[in-house]
Amino acid sequence: MMRKLALLALAAFILAPLVQAIILSFTATLAADGNAVGSIGLMNYANILTTPELQSAILNSLAYVSVNIALCLACGLPAAYALARFNFVGDRHFLLLILVFRVTPPVVLSLPIFIVFAQLGLVNSPIGIGIVHCLFNLPITIWILESFIRAVPREFDETAFLDGHSRAGFFFRHLIPMIAPGIGVAAFFCFVFSWIEVVFARMLTVTAGKPITVAISAMFGFQTDIGAVMAMTCLSLIPAVILLFLLRNYLAKGFILRS
Amino acid sequence: MERWTDNRAWFLLLPALVVLAVVGGLPLLAVINYGLHDIFTLSETHWVGLQWFEDILDSDRFWASLGRSLLFSALALTIQVPLGILVAKLLLPLGRRAVWGLVLCALPLVVPFNMIAMLWLGMIQPQIGLFGGMVQANGFDYKFNPVHTWVLILFVDTWHWLGLVVILAYAGLSSVPQPYRQAAAIDGASRWAVFWYVELPRITHALAIVFLLRCVDSLMIYTEAFAINAGEPNDATRFLSLDLGEEIKGFSYGQAAARACIYFLIVLSIVWVFVIATRENRRPQ
Repeated sequence: MMRKLALLALAAFILAPLVQAIILSFTATLAADGNAVGSIGLMNYANILTTPELQSAILNSLAYVSVNIALCLACGLPAAYALARFNFVGDRHFLLLILVFRVTPPVVLSLPIFIVFAQLGLVNSPIGIGIVHCLFNLPITIWILESFIRAVPREFDETAFLDGHSRAGFFFRHLIPMIAPGIGVAAFFCFVFSWIEVVFARMLTVTAGKPITVAISAMFGFQTDIGAVMAMTCLSLIPAVILLFLLRNYLAKGFILRS
Repeated sequence: MERWTDNRAWFLLLPALVVLAVVGGLPLLAVINYGLHDIFTLSETHWVGLQWFEDILDSDRFWASLGRSLLFSALALTIQVPLGILVAKLLLPLGRRAVWGLVLCALPLVVPFNMIAMLWLGMIQPQIGLFGGMVQANGFDYKFNPVHTWVLILFVDTWHWLGLVVILAYAGLSSVPQPYRQAAAIDGASRWAVFWYVELPRITHALAIVFLLRCVDSLMIYTEAFAINAGEPNDATRFLSLDLGEEIKGFSYGQAAARACIYFLIVLSIVWVFVIATRENRRPQ
């Protein structure tokens, strides 16, 4: 009984702000287009989907998150294989290096990253943000994939080599299908951590290429349409909540650290 | 499982190293370099040596911010870690259904960082907030009362990050074999004793991860604190990262870079303590 009450209180605590956001997202909070303040309907969502900046913000977010996932998997897979299968000089130092990058707060590196990326011509483009988010997502990808590869017995590799597969052929044709769930889990955490990040995303989009998170901040002004802000927030939550639901059994993986 | 020994494995790390060099290595070198210069424009800089570092370490402002951040971090850890373990303990007997509790706790983790403060500011807003009336009736004034600002930031931070503690504590607790608990219970151990002597020693690694993540993140809290009161009232919530953000916005790039170096060293030393502690821990097993 006590347990049920405690869990209900917890659910209320967690859900309350989200419920309010959902309610507000369906409420007209600024009088416009003949909608009285307080009327209920889909006007906020309709507004967002017809505002070009907000449309492009959604596309920008999807673009940089895709760049980030592709880059993390492309660089993370070979690195994870190396760490799972080989002892080599400096392997622990590499783990320490990625641990340090994983926990370094974005605000500490935001200034130099802006300057370096400005010189590389990567400001105002989704590609720049996609690359920067590798700072914390690549370590996570490597840790997750390493744990999945480690779970595959080494004899599996050896049998494939005896059967005449090259290491590359084995990697793409046998190992990747084996650890497909791990790749999915890694991609999910890259998506979420990249999707919600703000400091780098804001720093690197001065005049163009603004993603959803930055577009939401830009909606605050002299007369803020809080209903539209909440509608945008709810839209931004949909993909992450769907992925959260699909990968519910792997939640702990995204927060594993190794040293 | 034995692993092959082969230093050619470094070639497999190359792509990852190149990316990390661009997003981590180069910026770190740049930040150290800028920290040693006075920067008028990026093409007009003057060597100042360790001047900025000395200025920062000599200023009361830095030590005051560090103190506030340490206090905030200590409070956040004291509230969130026991509370998260408690929730994980509540979820544990639910078996497979517990995963829905974990999904629930994970919801705040997927909310965009800048919206977390907004959601709660909306909650306590007098006109539209669900808690608005209640909060106002109790004289809660987060804009001008420093204690109330602290309470609000801690509350929001707990909402945001409690799920992380719950998920990792649950993962640790669910890996403790059930017979251990039963054996202890047969011996007449209280529930508290079972937790303290049977479960806790087996989840220390999971908890070490929680401590590291929460410690660094709360010490460097920026987005929520800035959105709630931007360091006010009277600098009562001016944390380390808010000083840094202010200098970057004020184009004091040299000073900001030196400050970023100092913060990086703080983070590095916390990681170092974590690594030492977890290695000491693992050896006896």
